[in-house]
Amino acid sequence: MERSDQDRPSHPREDEHEFAEERESLWRITLGPTIWAFHFLISYAAVSVYCFKFERMFSMGVLRIALIAMTVAMLAAIAWIGWRAFLRWDVRDTGEFSNPEGSAEDRHQFLGHAGFLLALVSFIGVVYDTLPLIILGTCR
Amino acid sequence: MTDRSIPAGDLAPRGIYPPTEKMLNEPVPREVRERQEENLRRAWKTPEGWRYWTAVNNSEVGVWYTMTAFVFMLIAGVMALLMRLQLWVPENDLISADMFNQLFTMHGSAMMFLFAVPMFEAISILILPAFLGARDMPFPRLSAYGYWAFLIGGIFVIGSILFSAAPKAGWFMYPPLATIELGIGSDIWLLGLSFIEVASIAAAVELIVGALKCRPPGMRVNVMPLYAWYVLVVGGMILFAFPPLIAGDFLFELERSFDWPFFDHTRGGDPMLWQHLFWIFGHPEVYIIFLPSIAIAAMIVPTVARRPILGYSWIVLSAVGTGFLSFGLWVHHMFTTGLPNMSLGFFSAASEAVVIPTGIQLFAFVATLIAGKVVMTLPMLWIAGALAIFTAGGLTGVMVAIAPFDWQVHDTYFIVAHLHYTLFGGMVFPVIAGVYYFFPFFRKKMLSERLGRWSFWLIFTGFNITFLPMHLTGLLGMPRRVYTYPEGLGIDWLNQISTVGSFIVAAGFAVFAWDIVRPKKDQPQIERNPWGAGTLEWSHEIPETKWGVRSIPHITSRYPLWDQPKLVERMDQGRYYLPDAEEGLRETIVTSVIDARPIQVQRVTGPAYITIWAAAFTGGAFILPTFHIYGPAIVSAAFAVVCILYWLWTSTARPPEKDMKDVGLGLSLPTYAAGPQAVGWWAVWITMLGDATAFASLVFGVFFYWTSNTAFPPPGAEHANGYLVALSTAAFAAAWALTRGARGLNRAGRVGLARGALALAPLLTLAGMGGFILSVMDLDPASHVYPAMMWALMVWVVAHGIVGTIMQLYCLAGSLFGKLTPRYDADLWNVTLFWHFLGLTALVTGAMMGIVPRLM
Repeated sequence: MERSDQDRPSHPREDEHEFAEERESLWRITLGPTIWAFHFLISYAAVSVYCFKFERMFSMGVLRIALIAMTVAMLAAIAWIGWRAFLRWDVRDTGEFSNPEGSAEDRHQFLGHAGFLLALVSFIGVVYDTLPLIILGTCR
Repeated sequence: MTDRSIPAGDLAPRGIYPPTEKMLNEPVPREVRERQEENLRRAWKTPEGWRYWTAVNNSEVGVWYTMTAFVFMLIAGVMALLMRLQLWVPENDLISADMFNQLFTMHGSAMMFLFAVPMFEAISILILPAFLGARDMPFPRLSAYGYWAFLIGGIFVIGSILFSAAPKAGWFMYPPLATIELGIGSDIWLLGLSFIEVASIAAAVELIVGALKCRPPGMRVNVMPLYAWYVLVVGGMILFAFPPLIAGDFLFELERSFDWPFFDHTRGGDPMLWQHLFWIFGHPEVYIIFLPSIAIAAMIVPTVARRPILGYSWIVLSAVGTGFLSFGLWVHHMFTTGLPNMSLGFFSAASEAVVIPTGIQLFAFVATLIAGKVVMTLPMLWIAGALAIFTAGGLTGVMVAIAPFDWQVHDTYFIVAHLHYTLFGGMVFPVIAGVYYFFPFFRKKMLSERLGRWSFWLIFTGFNITFLPMHLTGLLGMPRRVYTYPEGLGIDWLNQISTVGSFIVAAGFAVFAWDIVRPKKDQPQIERNPWGAGTLEWSHEIPETKWGVRSIPHITSRYPLWDQPKLVERMDQGRYYLPDAEEGLRETIVTSVIDARPIQVQRVTGPAYITIWAAAFTGGAFILPTFHIYGPAIVSAAFAVVCILYWLWTSTARPPEKDMKDVGLGLSLPTYAAGPQAVGWWAVWITMLGDATAFASLVFGVFFYWTSNTAFPPPGAEHANGYLVALSTAAFAAAWALTRGARGLNRAGRVGLARGALALAPLLTLAGMGGFILSVMDLDPASHVYPAMMWALMVWVVAHGIVGTIMQLYCLAGSLFGKLTPRYDADLWNVTLFWHFLGLTALVTGAMMGIVPRLM
């Protein structure tokens, strides 16, 4: 399947047009880390606000379970993103691990590869950041 | 003929792209070539004599920037030597405690703010366009402005130590020590460095737009040099890391100047807010320093290994991943502040996780070296030293990321050793490698192999002699930042070894500095590609030409000099794009973000005095308040605004003499762009992202006080006047709507209505600003942190309102004087974009002043 765009006429709104074509992948390469960032921020903010404001109102167990549930959902989302990126990378069909050439197809697969690897690192990051929720049980 | 009914910014490129082999093979007649070269030479001529300093070309500004940062580094290094002399023996009285405090504060501040970060910007300005086969950066005058701002601010900050007036509360300026500090040291730090941070953000904007929009045709994101990827990531990090510090500086200076108690706990403030804001900046900053330096390694390693880099995507992952994760580490500088253990746990975990992407790139380099045939050149020697030292620093980093270990060594010499290992390995060594590697590119001469090896071994051994013992000094309990220590603690000999080592490092730097400045007139002309590299910067011409590239190539590979055999010959002969400058203007090609399809010819600005004046007056606006001279400071700020307006009016987004231009190889490109097509629009978007981050930091402050303080707002506190807040917010919203409406009306040719909207909008903005001011008039900002915070939000939105008003009037004037027409409306697009952000800022401010405190 050769996907050549070399001959298509220039589009008047070149950037918007390209983003439309590749929007998903470009967005996806930072989507994994963005989920990590939200996971980190929400966990940290929730624990801080709880420890400073609501420690007497309800037990930490409730908060931990809520946050761990959020973690599971976010890990699933990252896994799905990673899987889609893996398909885009298309390494099983092409056998190409690196996509060093200047064709549209190579750019497409490269973005898939980068997105896949970033999803992997974000997944590990989220798991790391969940460990304190599992190991520690109190504010002190 | 172009269609006059289409807005100039909507014209599409016409003709053939990509070029065929047959077109590229067509020879260019000699007389044509010579005429073109003459035109280009004239357009890109560097000013001579004393006008030389008006130059804005990246090849000049980059060299000044690099050399200035290097000189600041040497000065900060001398400060370190003085400290080491003082610590040579116990109970030494060479330097007073007060001077010692100034020395360590200035050493850290100067190394971070005057050397490490500016050095990244300097090197990138110098070499990024060459990596991308661009003639210059998209906004040369902005680079020059940034440089002059940096020079003025840097001399001001570092010069203060000569008057014994330097800041002395440590490079992170913790309150309450820094807020109650007498003298002007803290003000010099806050205002001087804020000024330089503005220059950093200007450089970040320039570099991001450069990497995204100024790549040569065909250089898609998957073939761009890794350096450009790192620049993108680091530019993005600067936008999210520096603004929190600017917001912190803003609050801090308000406390120092007007006694608004943001960090004073007796009036509801909290010194911890500063620590948060500082380290949200401070930790990513470490990676802002590290990533671009390691990017230099990513350029050198493939060259010495004689093969393409292994794991290009892995390195991209590494850069992007590190960029993200580095924002989750800041509290590991605050492990001993008594935050809940679980919070510490999150930061500890993220600090361990960041090792993964950081490590991956180092493994990719090692793998490339193993797979290739390594030629141990001088730059590679420095890279090898960097990898060894950085790895050692990384290992102690893993140790101190574990909270209980950190509790033991916090604020001891162990930390001093750790941070110097990471910064020397992660920044100093790779940057020196880069200087040896790129010197033949930017100076067209080689540095000495022999001096280089001497310098390396002196610095490498001296460094380890200085800092390796410090781990032990710290574990034995010596705290950092003490001006002396008593006898008999078992640390005397360790300190002596460190002092000896520091002078060996200094000797190494002396050799290096001599190598750079020694006269090289008699040296033979260098080879064009002395290292046999594959990337585009080595297509540079010898002897030097000022036009950047003779013609802008079509790139289809990561290592074009290796993979595209006829490339350099064709570039030289002007067979590629923009081989000429018939109008005598400086031009470069703008391409699309992902696939780098050519979309526009960008006219870039040339030499000017105005940038120097603008920087000088901006400097006055920041520096005079240090001495509590507010009237002249405001006048200076007004002059700065006038200079910047003159600069924009005379040289940006002018309607071109013709809409389309033939750029060669059968392709015609538009010469004007508006909206998301234009580099200016991208610059506004990126700047405002940073601005929004600073504002978000203030909003964070409100919520922070709410969590940290049992009574915020205090019971029975007076709130901002709700009606006035609501009316002001509405006025801002209406001003936004009119600005946005003016853009549509102007495009539709209803110029009269558009002018009406642009005349009415500033009035509404003024009303909005007045309303916000009146709404807090009854609150006393010095009485408690709550009214102080309301005032701070008001000051923020009013300051932005002033800028917004000026912009609306600028567009109105543009419309009246023919600069802004329905066909040429880039200015109005940019102003509308600014107003999207300002509208949102006003809306959030309205909520923060009118609604949120009443619910807290």
